[in-house]
Amino acid sequence: MFANGDEIFKISRLTIAWLTIIFTIVWMVCWGVGIGLPMLLTQQLGDQANLANEILRAVTPVIAILVFIPINAMFMVLIERRALALWTVRKGPNRVGPDGNLQTAADAVKLLLKEDITPTGADAAMHTFAPILFFAPSIIGAVPLLAAVTNDHPLFHILNLPTGIFYVLAAGALPVVALVMAGWASNNKYSLVGGLRSAAQAISYEIPLVLSLVTVCLMAGTLDLVKIAQQQAGGILNWNLLGGGALVGLNQAIGGGGAKALEAAYPMGAVSYVCAGLLVCSLIISFWLYLTGACAEINRIPFDLPEAESELVSGYNTEYSGMKFAIFFLAEFTNLFVVASVTTVMFLGGGDNPIPPYILDKIPGIPQMVAAIRESFLCQNLHLINPETLFATLWVIAKVYGLVIFAILIRATLPRFRIDQLMAFGWKRLIPLSLIVFIIVVFAREFVNIHG
Amino acid sequence: MATEIQEIDLKTDEMIINMGPQHPATHGVLRLLLTLDGETVKHVEPVLGHLHRAQEWQGQNRTWFQYQALIDRVDYLSGMFTSWAMARACEQLDGVTVPERAEYMRVIVSEMNRITSHLLWLGTYLIDLGAMFGFPFYPFREREKLFDLLEEIAGQRMMFNYIRIGGVLRDPKPAWFDKLKAFLDEFPDRIDEYETIVTQNPIFLKRTKGVGILKQSVATDYGVTGPCLRSSGIAMDLRRTRPYSVYPDLKFDVITFDKEGDTWDRYMARILEMRQCVDIIRQCVEKIPTGDIMGKKQMAGMRIKAGEGFAAVESPRGVLGCYVTSSGGEKAVRFRWRNPSFCNLTILPELLKGCPLSDIMAIFGSIDIILPDVDR
Repeated sequence: MFANGDEIFKISRLTIAWLTIIFTIVWMVCWGVGIGLPMLLTQQLGDQANLANEILRAVTPVIAILVFIPINAMFMVLIERRALALWTVRKGPNRVGPDGNLQTAADAVKLLLKEDITPTGADAAMHTFAPILFFAPSIIGAVPLLAAVTNDHPLFHILNLPTGIFYVLAAGALPVVALVMAGWASNNKYSLVGGLRSAAQAISYEIPLVLSLVTVCLMAGTLDLVKIAQQQAGGILNWNLLGGGALVGLNQAIGGGGAKALEAAYPMGAVSYVCAGLLVCSLIISFWLYLTGACAEINRIPFDLPEAESELVSGYNTEYSGMKFAIFFLAEFTNLFVVASVTTVMFLGGGDNPIPPYILDKIPGIPQMVAAIRESFLCQNLHLINPETLFATLWVIAKVYGLVIFAILIRATLPRFRIDQLMAFGWKRLIPLSLIVFIIVVFAREFVNIHG
Repeated sequence: MATEIQEIDLKTDEMIINMGPQHPATHGVLRLLLTLDGETVKHVEPVLGHLHRAQEWQGQNRTWFQYQALIDRVDYLSGMFTSWAMARACEQLDGVTVPERAEYMRVIVSEMNRITSHLLWLGTYLIDLGAMFGFPFYPFREREKLFDLLEEIAGQRMMFNYIRIGGVLRDPKPAWFDKLKAFLDEFPDRIDEYETIVTQNPIFLKRTKGVGILKQSVATDYGVTGPCLRSSGIAMDLRRTRPYSVYPDLKFDVITFDKEGDTWDRYMARILEMRQCVDIIRQCVEKIPTGDIMGKKQMAGMRIKAGEGFAAVESPRGVLGCYVTSSGGEKAVRFRWRNPSFCNLTILPELLKGCPLSDIMAIFGSIDIILPDVDR
C-alpha cells in the first residue's frame, strides 16, 4: 500500500517545513507591528504614542493578509503539484532547491519577468483590470475570517463584523464579473466562451452554496463568524457538521450532565430525538452541498469548465501572460484557501479541538502544558503566544489544509462535467436538495434545544 | 399611460472557431473548422495536411531497406503494424516464406504494441475528458514496461524497425520470454485498476454514455474499421475475417457489441481488446517453435521481384493496408497506404453535428486518431 512511502514522507516534511515557516513569519510580522512596536513606543514616548499605536494595530491585519497570501499561494501550488504527482505515479517538481521547495518561487520570478502581452484588438483597460478585480475580493473575503480562525485574538478583533458570513459571500460573488471581463476583453473566442461559462456556472452554484450556509446560520442564530466559531467549542459533537448544535445536549450528558442535560436539550422526548437526528443528517448534507458549490465557485475539477483545457485551451486566461496571469493564478489558490477556511469556521468548529474538554482534561500532561504556556514569559510579558490562539490556530491549519488536500485528491480523481450536465446537476439536484434541507432545519430546530 | 414598447432587432450569429492546429486536445495538428451556434456544433470541417511528410513519395525514393526504417513513423504509436503491413506486401511480391518462429514473434510484438497503443489512448482520452492531472498517468506506467521489453529486442522504444521483409530482426533470449510472462501475469490486475476508477465513474458515464453514437450504416459507408466499427456491432476483424500469419492457430473471439456503439462502447472495446491481447500473447509464448527467424537476407541493395502486392493487417486503429508496385529494382515504383486513422476521421463531421462543444473532445478522442497516420 505504501509503495511510495518515501514520497509521502518527503511531502509531509515539505508541508510541515513550509507551514512552520509561513505561520512563523506571518505571526512575527503581526506581533512586531501590532504588539512589539506599540510596546516599544509606549516605553519610549509614554502617552504620546497612543495614536501611532492605534494606527499600527489597525493596519496589522491588513499586513498579515498581504504577507500571508503570496507565500501561502506559493506553498499551495507546490503541495498541489507534489500531491498530484504522488497520486498520478509521477515525481513532481523536485529539482529547484532542497526537495523542490523553491520551485514555485522560481516560477513566480519567471512569471514576473515575462513579457506582458495585450492581444491585438483587446480592450486594454479591461484586460488589465480583470485580474485585479479577480484578486481583490479574495483578499477582502479573507479579512473577517482572521478573527474567527484565531479564536478572536485581540489584534484581529477589529476585523470582526456582525454580518461576517454575509460579507464573505458577497466578496466571493465578485470574481465572476472579473472572469466575464477577462473573457470579453481578450478578443478571443475561447476566452469569451470561458468567461460566459463561468458566469453561468457561478450563478447556478451560488444558490445551493448560500442556502447551505444559511442553514448553518439559522442553527447558529447569528451571521457573526466569531460567534459561530465559538458556539461550536467543546468537541466534535458540538460542531455544525454534526447537527449545528443539536448534539450539544448529548455532549453535555456524556460530559457529566447526565439525564438532566438530555432532558434540558431534548424537552419533547422521542420527537426531539428524531428531530435531532434529522438535523444531523441535514447539516451533513449541507456540508457536502457547500463543498460541491464551493468547488464550482472556485472552478476546480470536476467543475473547471471555464478553463477546460481540452476544450477551451485555457478559457478566460488564455490570452494572459506574465504578471497578469500570475495574479489570476494567485487568486485561484487564495480562493481555494478562503473556501477551505469558511468551511472550517462554518462546519468544522473553527479552532476547536475535536476531542471534548472532559476527555482532554483527563489526559495527563495537557492541562499542565496549557498552564505552563500561559504562565511563560512569552505569554505574560511579550504577549507573543497565548494558549487559546495557539491551539486554535494549529487546529485551523490542520483542518484547512486537510480540506485543501481533499480538493487536490478530487482533482486527481474525477473527469470534468459537460456544461449542460453541470447546469442540470446544479438546478435539478443541488438546489432542490438544499431547499429541502433548509425546510427540514426550519421545522426540526423548534423541537430541540439548540446549543444546550 | 401608454407604455411604448421599442422593438429591438436582435439577431444571433453563428460563431466560427478554429480549433487547432495548435490546440491542446487535437492530438497533434488537426485543424477543425467549427461553426458554433452558442455552444452547439452546427458544422465541422476537418482540415488536414499539417503533418504531411510525403511518406508514400519517400517510398519511391528510398531503397526497400531504407524505407523499412522510415515506415514506423507513419503511425508512431503502432509502428509494428505499419512495418508488418509493408513486410507482408513485399513478401507477397517476392514469394518469401517467413519462418514460423518469426511469424509468432510478429504476433507477440504486434499485440504488445497494440496494448501500448491502447494504453496511450486511454490516458489521453481521459485527459480529453478533463481528468487532467489525475488518472492518465497510470496507463503510462505499464506502457513504459512494455516499451522496456520491446526495446530489449528491437533496440528502439517506439520506432522499432523490428519486423523486416522476410522475418524479424532479432531472436529474443529465453529470459525475455520470462519477463514477458511476468508482465502478462501482472497486467490484467492493472486493467482492473483502471476499470475500478474509470468504467463506472458517474461523471465518466455521463460524459460517454449515449454520446457520439455511430450508426452501422454510417460506419460502413465511410469505411470505418477497427474498434470503432466493432463496437458498433459489426464483427470485422482482419485477424479473423481474413486471417493472416499464425492467427488461425490462436484462440480468440472478435469483440463486438450488440447495439450501435457510443463512446463508452468504444472505450470498453479497447479495454476488452487489451485483455484479449494478453491472452493472445500468452498462447503465442506457449506455442512458439524454435528455428530460424529470417527468410530473406537483409542488405542495403536488396531487391523485390516485379509485380503488385497488397496486404492488410488489423492495427489498433483499424485496417492498415499497404499496396506496393515493384519493377524488380532497388526501389519501389509506387507505395500506397490505406490508413485507418484517415478513414475513421471522415466520420467526424457526421458524429459531431449538433453536439455540444464539450462533446467534441469526448467523441473525437474516442475515435482514436493519430495525426501522422492521417496525413502520412
